Amino acid sequence: MDTIVEARNLHKTYRADGVETPALRGVDLAIGRGEFTAIAGPSGSGKSTLLHLLGGLDRPSAGEVWLAGERIDDKPPVQRARLRLWKVGFVFQAYNLIPVLTALENAAFVLELRGVPPAERKKRALDALAELEMEGFADRRPNQLSGGQQQRVAVARALAAEPAVILADEPTANLDSGTGLALIEYMKRLNREKGLTFVFSTHDPRLLEHVRRVVHLEDGRIVREETVG
Amino acid sequence: MSFLVWSLAWKNVWRGRGRSLLTAGAVAAVVAMMLVMYGFSGAVLNGVFQNLTRTTGHLVVRVRNADEIREFDLSLIRDAASVKKRVREALPEADVEAVLEVPALLAGEKRSRGVVLLGLEPEGHLMREFAEKYLSAGRVPAAGGYEAALGKALARALSASVGGTVYAFAPGTEGLGAAAFSVSGLLDLPESTMEARTAVLDLADAQELAAPDAATRIVVFLPGVRTLSAAERLQGYREALERALPDEYEVQTWREAEPALAAVLDMTRPMVTIYAVLFFVLAGLLVVNTVYLSLVERIREFGVIIALGADRWRVMRLVVLESLLLVASGAALGGIIGGLALWRLARGFSLPGTLAQQYAEFGLPAVMYASITPGQVLLVFAFAALTAIASALWPAWLAGRLEPVEAMRHVA
Repeated sequence: MDTIVEARNLHKTYRADGVETPALRGVDLAIGRGEFTAIAGPSGSGKSTLLHLLGGLDRPSAGEVWLAGERIDDKPPVQRARLRLWKVGFVFQAYNLIPVLTALENAAFVLELRGVPPAERKKRALDALAELEMEGFADRRPNQLSGGQQQRVAVARALAAEPAVILADEPTANLDSGTGLALIEYMKRLNREKGLTFVFSTHDPRLLEHVRRVVHLEDGRIVREETVG
Repeated sequence: MSFLVWSLAWKNVWRGRGRSLLTAGAVAAVVAMMLVMYGFSGAVLNGVFQNLTRTTGHLVVRVRNADEIREFDLSLIRDAASVKKRVREALPEADVEAVLEVPALLAGEKRSRGVVLLGLEPEGHLMREFAEKYLSAGRVPAAGGYEAALGKALARALSASVGGTVYAFAPGTEGLGAAAFSVSGLLDLPESTMEARTAVLDLADAQELAAPDAATRIVVFLPGVRTLSAAERLQGYREALERALPDEYEVQTWREAEPALAAVLDMTRPMVTIYAVLFFVLAGLLVVNTVYLSLVERIREFGVIIALGADRWRVMRLVVLESLLLVASGAALGGIIGGLALWRLARGFSLPGTLAQQYAEFGLPAVMYASITPGQVLLVFAFAALTAIASALWPAWLAGRLEPVEAMRHVA
């Protein structure tokens, strides 16, 4: 299986008011194409930081990040933005949909950034919403949707762009357990049927039963890896 | 930029409805006000220009360097009729009149005063202008009647009244040198100095008194030139006229004939433009405030947009676009309000109360007509667009510098 995203000896230290707080302390991780991987760990273990670095949202203090065969940690912001646009899909804990846009427009937003023509954009966004069983809510704005529905739109936004990898930072944290589980099932189905690569972080042990590979993170280090099946 | 981005920017503008309405309203007020100010200044300028050129003419033919000549006979256009003929041939559409200004001593029964006797053609524009605007008693002089209309102040000084007789002495000239004139009327002239030194005669009488067949000025009226912007064409007429006349004559435009007033008029438009800049700067501060607050409230959202792959230039463009849409809304409203006001004022308006009388002293007509050029309309909207862009630069720069991770953690 070829590697789609890789961290090599990744370190990240936050500095504020002269105080240094290490968040990652030498993480090595390779995610293969088509994997469905969870990064598990307690709050403060460095899960979000690792996902941010893997997606090029932030730069590591040391180490390297490779995305689709390209080193991205040394790229300037404009190039990293371009890589994120074309290679990475993000799903955030707080949904982070654009409140003034409808579900359809939100799902089409990344395609709009890519300059995809309107007709194709609409079709792909509608298809993505349909995959998440949200096509009936296409004209609704985020404030007219439940939390679970908003997160499904967020997944559709990532899915519509057909990225190399979808990074989901605690996507179920704001959802009740049933809705969270349903969301993971949606993601699993997309992984299985479309071969999409998912990496998501969670601190909910119940969700880990549904994941093929689990990477356990504690205090900024990988302490254990489990592969099921 | 796609419809989605325009739509996003438009919706974002109206998320803070009250604030955006206030800002757009301020922009609308400035745009409307500037359109009206330009229209009003156009009305004043054109009014003063028309008033002025009714007495100066649009072009004046004189002996070359006439201003520097002190001797009366050297300042004379000797064969006024033939010069007039040449002027008419060069500018067939123009009305052409000869004027003779004679420095003279005018005496009443007991007193005398140094005056300028103004010989005007009895059927000409200038005589009509004196009759319509300045005559306060009696009538203007009849052709060949040896009559004079005196400035009221001059008549008082000479103790002369309508029906009385005054005596003109123009010694050393080529005419009769002296003649008696009956006072046909009194003139209420706008300047007191002029009123104390002016007597209007029939041109033929003035010529017989001081300079047979001569004139000191040939005044040219161009019927099509009624506005200051139309006056830009005068240079072409002037050159045509200079080519048609012998070298001993020079042609002046109304500007050269009245340089001080022309300079005052020239200052008016830049003054309005300076006001426009000041008002737009004030409106711009409001726009900056609105765009900046909108940015601060949406830092997290901008973080998401950047995280999804928008580069800093795209984010900056979005901020500028929001500012442009906000200002465009106000400018459109202001354009409609200002346009309606101009439409009304273009049908004619007067200054309220006694202002009209006060400003008439400075040559302002009683009824004025708002006038604005397409260039001025464009300038107002260009100022608005510039305000939008300039106001958005700082917030856009801040938005472009946002780090996605930090921005997404931001709590407004």
